[in-house]
Amino acid sequence: MNCLQNILAVFRRERIIWAKRPIYFVGSVLIVAFCSVFYLTFLQSGVPTGLPIGVVDNDHSSLSRNFISQLDATPAAEVRIFDTYPEARVEMQRGRITSICVIPEGMYRDVSAQKQPEMTFYINGLYFMGGSLAYSDLLTMINLTSGAVQRQVLRMKGMNDAQIMGMIKPVELDTHMIGNSTMNYGAYLGSMMIPGVLEMVMVVLIVYSLGTELKYGGSRRLMELSGGSIGVALLGKLILYTIFFFLLGVTIEMLLYSWCHYPFAGSVWYMFLDVFLLVLASEAMGITIISFCPVLRFALSVSSLYTVLAFSLTGFTLPLEAMPEAFQYVSAIFPLKHYYQFFVQEGIFGTGFTGWWQEVCHFLIFLIFPMLGIHRLKHAYIYQDYEQI
Amino acid sequence: MKGMIKYLREWFKDTLNIFNSELKTIITDEGVMVIVIVAGLLYPILYNMIYQKGILEETPVAVVDRADCSESREYIKEVDACREVRVAYRCTDMEEARKLFQEREVNGIIYFPEDFGVRLANLQTSTLSVYTDLSSFLYYKNLLLAADFVMLHNIGKIQIERYSRLGMTEQEAMQLVKPVVYEENNPYNATFSYSIFLISAILLLIVQQVMLYSMSICVGTMREQNRSFCSLVDTYGGKGVGRVILGRGMVYWCIFMIIGIYIATIVPAIFDFPQRGRFWNILLLLEFFVTDCVFFSMVWSSLITKRESVFLLMLFISPICLFLTGFSWPATSFPVFWKYFSYIFPSTFACRGFINLNTAGGDLGTIYFQMRGIALQTIGYFILSIVLLYYEHYRLKHKSRLSKIREDITDMVVAGQMKFDKKVDEDIAHIREIVGKNKLSQ
Repeated sequence: MNCLQNILAVFRRERIIWAKRPIYFVGSVLIVAFCSVFYLTFLQSGVPTGLPIGVVDNDHSSLSRNFISQLDATPAAEVRIFDTYPEARVEMQRGRITSICVIPEGMYRDVSAQKQPEMTFYINGLYFMGGSLAYSDLLTMINLTSGAVQRQVLRMKGMNDAQIMGMIKPVELDTHMIGNSTMNYGAYLGSMMIPGVLEMVMVVLIVYSLGTELKYGGSRRLMELSGGSIGVALLGKLILYTIFFFLLGVTIEMLLYSWCHYPFAGSVWYMFLDVFLLVLASEAMGITIISFCPVLRFALSVSSLYTVLAFSLTGFTLPLEAMPEAFQYVSAIFPLKHYYQFFVQEGIFGTGFTGWWQEVCHFLIFLIFPMLGIHRLKHAYIYQDYEQI
Repeated sequence: MKGMIKYLREWFKDTLNIFNSELKTIITDEGVMVIVIVAGLLYPILYNMIYQKGILEETPVAVVDRADCSESREYIKEVDACREVRVAYRCTDMEEARKLFQEREVNGIIYFPEDFGVRLANLQTSTLSVYTDLSSFLYYKNLLLAADFVMLHNIGKIQIERYSRLGMTEQEAMQLVKPVVYEENNPYNATFSYSIFLISAILLLIVQQVMLYSMSICVGTMREQNRSFCSLVDTYGGKGVGRVILGRGMVYWCIFMIIGIYIATIVPAIFDFPQRGRFWNILLLLEFFVTDCVFFSMVWSSLITKRESVFLLMLFISPICLFLTGFSWPATSFPVFWKYFSYIFPSTFACRGFINLNTAGGDLGTIYFQMRGIALQTIGYFILSIVLLYYEHYRLKHKSRLSKIREDITDMVVAGQMKFDKKVDEDIAHIREIVGKNKLSQ
């Protein structure tokens, strides 16, 4: 009973701190809101369109003009004509065009004479999406041109369209993209970047909140209120954070899958569980960091260095198996990685409990971490014997 | 003339003093040093290590071959031989493959329907299905690349066979199947390695962010200790702006030029990262960029009143800046608002400039637009930082006058020359407490 009263007392104190210091609100809600707006609007169109493709037309024939206008008509491409290759190359080095297509002199003549003229592509591989999309667009166009030439010849041989189709296209590839059928880049990145920002905010804010007690000397009062128990002190403080962050997390999930209708295979209710576990694990990491270095200035630097790495080591961009082995193990200490694995199971495959129960266990392991160093925090809270500034 | 020399001498002395005191602030602050050393020196190495390989190879796939004909077997063999994909499992039905897929044992499924061979024999179009998950774009890219490549190859073979049946010679058939051949070049990133996209963009971004964080921490610390980043102007009555800005700026400029050269030239050399640019060109870009970053950081750091708020308020900017360099989502497809928003950050120009110079091997002409952007930005931020310095000076003067008045009142009350009721007494006690603290810290 006494314990419960202490928790309540700490909780009330924390509420007053929140009300008095706007940085808690600004540092969490406003930042998450800004980042959500950024990632949702920045990648809004899903797939980039109008990529500038440079074309050097040395042929100037009806065939080459037809090729250019059809390339320009594809939604992905926007053709820019250059007179010479060096001009186009400089533009590519400037990063202003995604690729160059050089149409050889006498292409039309050579095609008619069945001499197989050679087109040359130069892909700007320095820009991830632009380069690869322009590349696939050019390949498609080349194949369509081949098809058109073949069709003309076969028609002359007196074949009907069904027969021609079998000749031109003996095999067709039918692609199914599980979990994101429209290949929406915004959904793919937004689903991970926004929870990533949430994790970042949570770890830093927890370290800040627990660390300011040391810096401004409020920790003795806190320990008094909690009856000398660090567990009660943390519980009282963290109840508020947990509720608050969980609500923030739920809002994010609703925003992504309910409001923006990003593709989602399973049940959003399970994602609430995922985000709840992310909140708990991030708080646990925050407590662990401040416990092991109970100096605010130092702990904040450490926590920011830690959270920034999470984006890379989660493996949603470059998968973990393409990284050196050591990093594949290191990645386990980021709650975001387990959130991602959970999301893949629920959001992409819709497996339900059987798919993600292991991730729940991994998340729960995080809750053990704070216990390893909590005595250090208690010591620091009572004696305040670390450097104060 | 004599006065001029005296002025200059004083000017240099003051600038040097500010330089020294700022340098001392940075070096003695362990929070700043951790950021500078770990983020500035170790993170470039760490990121290079993480993305060293940069290409995903041998993505495991499951094959469901219901057709079991010579064409499908040939196809599977060829897909397995591709660098991108490895056939990890052969399943008898989709159910089994789907289970492996969900358990993440494989990242894709290739499915041949029963009529695959029959339709081919009948000169019809056969369909072959590829399933891939989009948990990472690279799985999708690998599987599609391999499936497409093998398919095009096989199509060519099948077509030539079919045309031969129509009575064409092999040469004629080949010319008809491929009326236009093509040669592809990917001069800057032959393997489409992820590390080259990301590392080129991230290197200079690290310089900007580390400088912003460290300067903001210093400003926050000074303000907490009741000092200010424009302490000299205060004593000079608003005349020493140049000294303060140059003195402080030089410290950061020197430190971050060293870090910049390290990040832009030494780190890539350690990891055999392509270095196609000329050293002097890169140095020129760095000089422009670091100067810009100094004023950029001065402006934004002046918003910070407490050192801890830096991390709460500024950390989230790093990933946003990375996207704004356009390394992933092409800059030509930026929404208009974010396009202009990206002009706030020096990294938007500098990272693109670095990619053009270092990775694409361009000369100074190729970074003309970026250099112009950086120059304009530098001028803008320089003017803003002067304005903010004057504002800070005005604020401080105002503040000190206020506290002087409070002190006088307190003294009068203490001496019994003025009388107040109980509430005002409390206020006075509070004021005395504050004034006492100020005196202590001075």
